[in-house]
Amino acid sequence: MADYSLIIIGGGLSGLAAGIRFARFGGSVLILEKHAIPGGLNSYYYRKGFLLETGLHAMTNFAGPGEKRAPLNRLFRQLKLSRQEFVTREQYSSLIYFQGNNTLSFSNDFALLREEIACRFPGERDGFEKLLAIVDAYDPFTPKKWVSTRTVLGRYLHDPLLTDMLLLPLMVYGNSEEHDMDFSQFVIMFRSIYQEGFFRPGATMKDFLSLLVDKFISFGGEIRYNSKVESVALRDGKACGVVLAGGETISCDAVVSTIGAPGTFELLALPRQEEKYAGRMSFVESIYILPRQARETVRIDNTIIFYCLADRFDYGRPREAVDPSWGVICFPEHFVGIPPADYFQIRITHAANYDLWKKASALDYKAMKEEWGAKSRRITSKIIGNYQQNIVYEDSFTPVTIEKYTAKAQGAVYGSPVKVKDGITPCGNLFIAGTDQGFLGIVGAMLSGVSIVNQHILKAIDH
Amino acid sequence: MTRGEIKDVILEIIADIDEDADMADLKADEPLRDQLDLDSMDFLDIVMELRKRYKLQIPEADYPELATLTSCVNYLEPKLKGL
Repeated sequence: MADYSLIIIGGGLSGLAAGIRFARFGGSVLILEKHAIPGGLNSYYYRKGFLLETGLHAMTNFAGPGEKRAPLNRLFRQLKLSRQEFVTREQYSSLIYFQGNNTLSFSNDFALLREEIACRFPGERDGFEKLLAIVDAYDPFTPKKWVSTRTVLGRYLHDPLLTDMLLLPLMVYGNSEEHDMDFSQFVIMFRSIYQEGFFRPGATMKDFLSLLVDKFISFGGEIRYNSKVESVALRDGKACGVVLAGGETISCDAVVSTIGAPGTFELLALPRQEEKYAGRMSFVESIYILPRQARETVRIDNTIIFYCLADRFDYGRPREAVDPSWGVICFPEHFVGIPPADYFQIRITHAANYDLWKKASALDYKAMKEEWGAKSRRITSKIIGNYQQNIVYEDSFTPVTIEKYTAKAQGAVYGSPVKVKDGITPCGNLFIAGTDQGFLGIVGAMLSGVSIVNQHILKAIDH
Repeated sequence: MTRGEIKDVILEIIADIDEDADMADLKADEPLRDQLDLDSMDFLDIVMELRKRYKLQIPEADYPELATLTSCVNYLEPKLKGL
């Protein structure tokens, strides 16, 4: 008999969700995480006594506890977590800010965005309503041919400025492709951001991860940290176990890998196929910590600001190391019901060029961080006011940092534009879940883990 | 197990799956899915819970047999006879 029915590679959100799902019905399951803590892309670290979070600025897909069909609540039921006991903090509002003082506000009440469009783009009002009807009727989950979002939007909206404004939040929070976006992904993101909205767990990301790990363990699941998988052991073309760095072999009946397609292929001794499966969109992010008194000098009326100061919004890998002409400014504590603390954070994100960061020498890398950090602060100060003189601590990460800590090839946080939607690999009992399977974001990643286990493991295994 | 006991097991499983389920107004011959606003993912939980508790294998082709409370009891009665 194998040591475990299921081994899950990666203790990020998709791996934890997959683990809970399988352990819930009595299956023996082991999660192997290469780092010392769980979370993957959405994790945390301490610097100078501050708890800093990595990954997403906010969770998407907000839904109140009563809305049973909402993705968030379906997820909670699948993991047997109580939605009623889960405290959520909703965003105040967010702002799309484009050159020439063009703005659109949105919140978790979709009516606000509708009114804003009617008021600022009166000629587009009817077109937007028609687009909404298309979005509402669309089923983005059945596999379809790729459809250009820009083409569909062009049919209903005439002002390219409005198209760019609507696309910025949806692309930067969940598009693995450059320049355009598959319409199914657009519909998923439109619903999860504009129609459902932003929130964060009442407690920290660290607490949220603990909630998941505790649930997993309470169902009998096991998790091992500092356990990097070196290869998958094969017998007759099927996975029969994994080999850890250090040589230990653990046997199993099936494997779910959440480390992305290239990394998974490598474990199977297949070519990584990076040219096909590495995404091109990666980011730099700076986290600034400021004292409470500095709040008065910073314009914090929104939870998140999506800005673009270029003539057109171009979502793509920049030619230079960083493209500060557009980006995201997030105030991660500025959610309804979070009391002000002694310090507050500003997180600023820009598209970045993986290759340039990767090939930089240690010395250049440091200098590049400083140079681009300064450019970013200068541009973002125009939008939120001058915050630079009040920074007490700052940290930043690049595509190289992301690749190192999250196993995402080339630091592409949204993975490959080519998704392995059914999770199937050349190895019959090894499945891919997480970013390269298809659903993105925290809720999406977790639903990915759940659905791969439902589809391939729970239905198939005879106990 | 008697029909009454099987019904109670199903209700207990549903209550366990869905903390918001309103069991009081449940009609025995109408689809559970519509009444409880559940989806196919929730439905899989009923199957898995039955497997976990009674080692029952329910093939995917038989899932429609679990549509209503009455059809669940009809389907499970011979399978849970000895228990």
